[in-house]
Amino acid sequence: MKRGPRAEGRGKSTEQGGKLISIRDLTRIREQGGVSFELNVPAFELRPGEFVALVGTSGCGKSTMLDILALVLQPTSVGSFLLKEGENAPSIDIKAIWRAGDEEALARVRREQLGYVLQSGGLLPFLSVRRNIGLSQRLKQGAEQDVAALAAGMGLESLLDKKPRYLSGGQRQRVAILRAIAHRPAIVLADEPTAAVDSTRAHAIVKDFRDMARAEGSAVVMVSHDLGLVDAFADRIYSYRLEAPSASATRATCVPGYETA
Amino acid sequence: MKPRRRLVFGLAMADLAHEWVLTLCMVLALAAIIAPLMLLMGLKHGTISTLRDRLVQDPVFREIKPAQTREYPDDWYRTLAARPDVSFLMPTVLPASSILSVEDPGGGPARLWDLVPTGEGDPLLLENGSVIPGPGECVLTRTAAEELGVTAGELLTVKATRTRGHKREAGGARLRVVAVLEPRAGTVPRVYAPLDFVLDVESYKEGLAVPQRGWPGSLARPWLSLDGILVVLTDSLDPVEESGMIVNTGLSRIEKLNVGSFRDRTGLVPPAGRSIYDLSARQRALTFASLRALKEKLRGRGAVLMPYTNISHLKLTAGNGYTEIPVFGLSLSRSKAAALGLTAPPWGGLDPESGGERWRSILLPLGTTWDQGDIRATVSQGEKALSFPLHPAGVSPGDRAIVPVELLGALRTAQQREMRYDDGEGEFLLERTGFRGFRLFTNNIDQVPELVREMRAQDIEVIAEIEAIERIRVLDRGLTRIFWLVAVVGILGGIAALVASLYAAVERKKQPLGVMRLLGFSRRDMFRFPVYQGLLIALLSLGAASGGYLLLASVINQVFAADLAMGQRICQLPPAYLGVASLGTLALAWISTLFAAWKSTRVDPAEALRYE
Repeated sequence: MKRGPRAEGRGKSTEQGGKLISIRDLTRIREQGGVSFELNVPAFELRPGEFVALVGTSGCGKSTMLDILALVLQPTSVGSFLLKEGENAPSIDIKAIWRAGDEEALARVRREQLGYVLQSGGLLPFLSVRRNIGLSQRLKQGAEQDVAALAAGMGLESLLDKKPRYLSGGQRQRVAILRAIAHRPAIVLADEPTAAVDSTRAHAIVKDFRDMARAEGSAVVMVSHDLGLVDAFADRIYSYRLEAPSASATRATCVPGYETA
Repeated sequence: MKPRRRLVFGLAMADLAHEWVLTLCMVLALAAIIAPLMLLMGLKHGTISTLRDRLVQDPVFREIKPAQTREYPDDWYRTLAARPDVSFLMPTVLPASSILSVEDPGGGPARLWDLVPTGEGDPLLLENGSVIPGPGECVLTRTAAEELGVTAGELLTVKATRTRGHKREAGGARLRVVAVLEPRAGTVPRVYAPLDFVLDVESYKEGLAVPQRGWPGSLARPWLSLDGILVVLTDSLDPVEESGMIVNTGLSRIEKLNVGSFRDRTGLVPPAGRSIYDLSARQRALTFASLRALKEKLRGRGAVLMPYTNISHLKLTAGNGYTEIPVFGLSLSRSKAAALGLTAPPWGGLDPESGGERWRSILLPLGTTWDQGDIRATVSQGEKALSFPLHPAGVSPGDRAIVPVELLGALRTAQQREMRYDDGEGEFLLERTGFRGFRLFTNNIDQVPELVREMRAQDIEVIAEIEAIERIRVLDRGLTRIFWLVAVVGILGGIAALVASLYAAVERKKQPLGVMRLLGFSRRDMFRFPVYQGLLIALLSLGAASGGYLLLASVINQVFAADLAMGQRICQLPPAYLGVASLGTLALAWISTLFAAWKSTRVDPAEALRYE
């Protein structure tokens, strides 16, 4: 059964302005030990305020794609890769930055435009919850917010002065989400943020995540293997069509919508 | 600091604090290397400077002593004293001439002690708790003072003694003891007194009178020197007799003169038919012994002996007038003068024992218009001039002035020995001869070896404590070498420990470092992260090491305090050394972090994502 993309317009600002991410004809080929894996992204876009999910089984290339979106992995080739296309500010040509090999520019885009929620939280073990959350703000000038107020929104106010190792998995993910959102980035990327918690709690975390992102005006790209989880919150979903041209080659293509088995 | 650097610094510190146990281990490991090095450097420096201080503080190590007694010209003393490295130079006399008899106020036998000349700036006195004695004062060594049981302020009775004509004589004086030297100035009993007093003692011992002290004695009258003897004989000599004249007389040259050359030499004309010989010794001055010997040989032959000198002119002044006239020395008894057909000079024949006015007579040639009675003659003696009065005693028979040959003999001696004319005595007196030794101190111990080398190059054998100075230098060099050997090993170990631990830390922290990259820290930021950590660890280690050093150094210094003078420490580091050591440690720590820093820039942010 094939379902079409969900009706747009559920996000409150999806039709305003241009595109936060706009990718055309991106290919990433990885060969290792005689086995090749090819990821194709014919077209991908993210609009302001959207909550977009990348859904697929493990090994489908969704994490590879998130790495590319996080600018830590370069595609083998790309037609165009623009951030903030058609907005008031000039768009950022990631393809050009890659071509120039400008590490400094990539780092700047990361700290100013991106927030990132890692699977395990990715909290710095030597910083307290407060300083972990505040880190993204201190990296992006002019983005100071009241960390305590943010933490209260996630129910973390009593944990602010604790080190991450004293937190539960769910608490850590909430801290990581806050850190990714606190500096009000245009785009928040999340890599299976609830992989380590049970589904009830995961549901609550993702809901809070979506609400906070929406309140801070950030669009979200979230990777998950759990369609059931994201289906409830995502404005749009991309999934992966897998082909096997030969015994040792796999090709995945990122397509809008999803198919159910 | 830019905000992002400050942020990186804050994170680096937070990381160190988070892993405080590991940090502490690292700090202690480095401090365990730095502290012993500081201690070693402190011990080396403290030991060497204590040893040096001992030398520097004791003037004995700055002294250069002559190893033999010999006469040194005045110029030599002047040149030496003017050297910038010479702080004190005092001429000394013969050891035998500077022995003083000191009476025991306790009634014991008189002591015969060395009398040592001193003067302004004598470091041996000034640096051993003494002052410089003035006229009528003296300073004693500790041994001398203890033996006599005297202290500063008391009066001593001293005597200069001599034996003259089988008679013991003594010149006494009272000296006030103004200070007693510290024991290190010497264990031999000695009396230090102003040079003037020492010279007076020397003069007295040589038999001379010292009027300013009321010590009787003779005058230092000059002996007479000659350059040759003219012999006038009534008959001629055969060659054997001719050469026989100079055998065993100190004379070496014989020349027969004709009347013309005799006149040229003397301005006198002899009667005809005489044989005239000129006997001389080729540039060498003769004494009257030669004259006496020759007289003996020619006894009974009716010979007239006319000793002469190389002085042919005298500078005379009278009033404002000045002239240089030719002069010949002639002392003849009436009979000898008659034998030559001459008028005898008013002073008569040769009398070397006389003196006074008789010697200072002059016969002026006819036509010389001099104010009678007030003529002075001047003879130059090196830089000084010897000036004395002459009184005209008549008219010269020839074309040149005639003076007693004794006067020219004395003036000839003045060419070899400094001489002065004493108005009070009306006599020529010999100045004292040159000094026979010296007491010399340099400004600092490092100047001693060079000065000793130069003096030895002048063939002056000297004694100095060069070995002590050289020993310390050798020790310093050796200790410095050992220090650097140990230091290099320690420093290498420290670098290795720091490199290894920082590198391992980067390997261990790949995930958090990757997260930092992902959050937007640039590679440059990542580079600084381990650098800041390394520097902080080095700073903490320095602090710990300095604390440990200070603690141990004070313990060591207390243990050795009994053996050291006030203010001396066996273990000490000047602040400059500590500063240099700290900067050096930080520089090495910075270098040690570079590898880890480079490694941390290579951490891939993707590693943070795929951590699981």
